[in-house]
Amino acid sequence: MPPHVLPSFGLMHSVTHRFNDLDTVIDSLHELFDEWSVSAETGPDFDETTFDRAKLAIHEWVANLVQHADFGAETPRVGLTARLEENTVFCCIEDNSSGFDFEGQIALREHALQAFPERGMGLLMLRACSESLTYEQVSGSVNRLCFTVAADQDPWLNIPF
Amino acid sequence: MAETTMSFGIKQHNDETVIIEIGKALDFRNAADFKALCQQEVEEGARHFILDFSETGVLDSTGLGSIFSLYRQVSPMKGQVVFASVARPVQVVVQLTRTYKVFRQFPTVESACEAL
Repeated sequence: MPPHVLPSFGLMHSVTHRFNDLDTVIDSLHELFDEWSVSAETGPDFDETTFDRAKLAIHEWVANLVQHADFGAETPRVGLTARLEENTVFCCIEDNSSGFDFEGQIALREHALQAFPERGMGLLMLRACSESLTYEQVSGSVNRLCFTVAADQDPWLNIPF
Repeated sequence: MAETTMSFGIKQHNDETVIIEIGKALDFRNAADFKALCQQEVEEGARHFILDFSETGVLDSTGLGSIFSLYRQVSPMKGQVVFASVARPVQVVVQLTRTYKVFRQFPTVESACEAL
């Protein structure tokens, strides 16, 4: 594990970590999430693909931050908290970018998707994977995305073919 | 952005069919490399592509978009893009987006080669 990843596994049902290097954040969060999901204590009926869907949703959001977010002159900070509650994975991602109009971008992409789209699916995939999604500015410089991914979901995204 | 070390392996099955080993990830960091590689293969005569996902832990929306781009390119030539040895994280994306309707899946690269 790279030296900037120092996860706290005190409670195996949750993990919290802060990243500040956009060059390595994707690999680091995958490594962190994989280690956490392996160690998390799940019930016998828990569907392991729930972790994959949660990780995909997190990946899409952080990929969006890496590619498009405006951090201005600030050192980028991205914080991840993931928690397992019975058969549901709760995820929360905070960042110090200038934020953006999430609902507006979702609406734009829903109407702009062409057949076999090359771009514009990321936020739609995030939303399709998740439930109870909220995105808000929680202080002057922190944006917070929270969502849940439930084991009993069978989500799908209508992509034009 | 740091230069990624993620690269793809290529095997020629026959004059028209190539196997691309996707490796660890196909995502926004290397999707452009994937497109360039496929473009080169098409220019050299390939029209059937077997994508080997046996080692793949990450397929994201941009990676999937680059596969759509390849499909748009080869389908007018009656070419095919098929998935082989699909790892669980990739299967989640396939199920979510229902792309199993477009890309045939095979349990192994060998079975894909036999079918094409």
